[in-house]
Amino acid sequence: MKWFKKKNKLYLSDKQPLSTLGMIGLALSYVVLITWVIAILWPLFQMVVSAFNGKQEQYLMLNDNFEFSFEHFKYLFNETLYLTWVKNTIFIASSTAILTLTIVSFTGFAYSRYRFKGRKASLMAIMLIQTIPTFAGITAYFTMHSIIGSLAPWFSRQMMLILIYSGGGIAGNTFILKGYIDSISTELDDAARIDGCSSMQVYRLIIMPIAKPMLAIIALWSFIGPFMDYLLPRVLLTNPKSFTLAAGLFTLISDFRTLNQPAFAAGGLLTAVPIVILFIVLQKQLVSGLAQGSVKG
Amino acid sequence: MKVTLKDIGKKYEGREEFTLKNIDLEIEDKDFCVILGPSGCGKTTLLRMIAGLNSITEGDLLFNDKRMNKVPSKDRDIAMVFQSYALYPHMTVYDNMAFSLSMRKERKKIINDRVMEAAELLQIKEYLYSKPSDISGGQRQRVALGRAMVRNPAVFLMDEPLSNLDAKLREHMRVELVRLHKSLGTTSIYVTHDQTEAMTMASKIVLMNDGKIQQAGVPDEFYNKPANIFVAKFIGSPTMNIVEGKMIKGKFVSNDELIIITPSLHDTERLLAFEGKSVSVGIRPERFESGGEFGDTFKAKIDVIEMLGKEKILHVRLKNDSELIISTPGHYKYVENEEHSFGFDVESIHFFDTETGLRINK
Repeated sequence: MKWFKKKNKLYLSDKQPLSTLGMIGLALSYVVLITWVIAILWPLFQMVVSAFNGKQEQYLMLNDNFEFSFEHFKYLFNETLYLTWVKNTIFIASSTAILTLTIVSFTGFAYSRYRFKGRKASLMAIMLIQTIPTFAGITAYFTMHSIIGSLAPWFSRQMMLILIYSGGGIAGNTFILKGYIDSISTELDDAARIDGCSSMQVYRLIIMPIAKPMLAIIALWSFIGPFMDYLLPRVLLTNPKSFTLAAGLFTLISDFRTLNQPAFAAGGLLTAVPIVILFIVLQKQLVSGLAQGSVKG
Repeated sequence: MKVTLKDIGKKYEGREEFTLKNIDLEIEDKDFCVILGPSGCGKTTLLRMIAGLNSITEGDLLFNDKRMNKVPSKDRDIAMVFQSYALYPHMTVYDNMAFSLSMRKERKKIINDRVMEAAELLQIKEYLYSKPSDISGGQRQRVALGRAMVRNPAVFLMDEPLSNLDAKLREHMRVELVRLHKSLGTTSIYVTHDQTEAMTMASKIVLMNDGKIQQAGVPDEFYNKPANIFVAKFIGSPTMNIVEGKMIKGKFVSNDELIIITPSLHDTERLLAFEGKSVSVGIRPERFESGGEFGDTFKAKIDVIEMLGKEKILHVRLKNDSELIISTPGHYKYVENEEHSFGFDVESIHFFDTETGLRINK
């Protein structure tokens, strides 16, 4: 009680004290937020529980029967091509991330630092192309793949998928990275040039380390993309051995012959692991604001 | 190293006009040359051209008689201090200072010695391993200087390096920069819009306006022999009073006929050619004689008095409301709204041709 009183005496917040109406408003916001949290967490919770529940059969049942078991995970690893799917997805995702990051580095830097003919027009074009959904080009992708495939037989459908993902990513992310590099003072470039850097070195040694937070976000996004996307792999990939996680797991709930909903839940749970790992690795970069202090603040 | 600019001009891509035109300048070895001018006069462009950050449209840039127009910045043997300091934020102070040497594949031992030497001189040893974001503005300024120093360049370029510091620190750094220049003896080119910096630090001032050099010379000349009205008004605080008028019968008569000045003997000769023509007279605020028992005097009402301690700045109005600024010693007594007569120190009056703005008297 002593503490409570002491707190009451000194009003330390910089905001005006809440009126009654404000209190009600605050309570309402909390109600909304908490409902929201429940709406998000409850299905996730159910998924986790079902994944470990040995009592679940082919169909998911929401009841109190629970028995801890790894049965569904076993099913996933032994009866399905889960590990292949993981391998495929990680291959596609990391290739996409690396490709996107490399090319966006060049384009973002070039658009930010160089003045050339058609700079504005091409930026506008990139913006406009963004508005067309990727899926609209599906027939074009098929044609392109068959043409390239006839010339170079090793060009698989997965590679096509990588190109589609990174192609889409490069356009949008160029814009974002350009904006970020624009905010870095060009005096840093000048200083680096005088210190003896070539254009490539200016980017690699000066700009890239400063733009790391943005690059980390771009990497994360392009990595997550293939995990989330279902439509393109489903249409483009025909062989179950080449499926990505999303396409592969979907067979567990869509096809009567392979139906196993708890295994789907287990698979979904495991899918999150690589993303979480990447997130933890990049966390430091994501939150740091390195650009501070370069120029007088 | 001697830096020579021969008829240099600069036109930016997409602009109609030349930003700089016909710039001729010689900066001797070990000079401390200050390029002074109002914002937008092209002084930074000129510096960046010397640095090789901007291309040179026409003319020649010579370093010791070697043409440098096409030489990339890194091979010009220069170092530059930027207005924003431009320290690399992801590197420690030490790495910032060592960067240019390590880019040149210098040996680790040598780099370390040079960085330590510079750090010692600039007294930044304590925070060699902090990031630029963790040190104060004045300290960053020193680091930026240090980064330029370790290279041991032939020419030092500085682009308004003191403009981000507070007044006290600026005063201190000014002296320190001069001291540094004396001990290093490197040819320095310093860009600023602050006339105090120019007057106090320079061994040579170049005053620019509208993409042209208005006057180049030693600080003393700028104050006592301004080449034209622009220079006269730019240098000196408070600003020089300029009165427009005509030469009538060997005397200067202002347009409103309130001020009449009889020029000194050696000025009369040169003013002969301007009989009947428009002439402007420039008088430094501290060159008025108060009391005015002799010579030409004029009456004025004291409008506002600014008390600065060692001096008083009087803003006085003539009968037709035109204003003059007069500076007097601080212990003189004046009252606002008081009517007073003032005279001139005839020896120190500057005559300019109103049409061209050029100086008439020697």
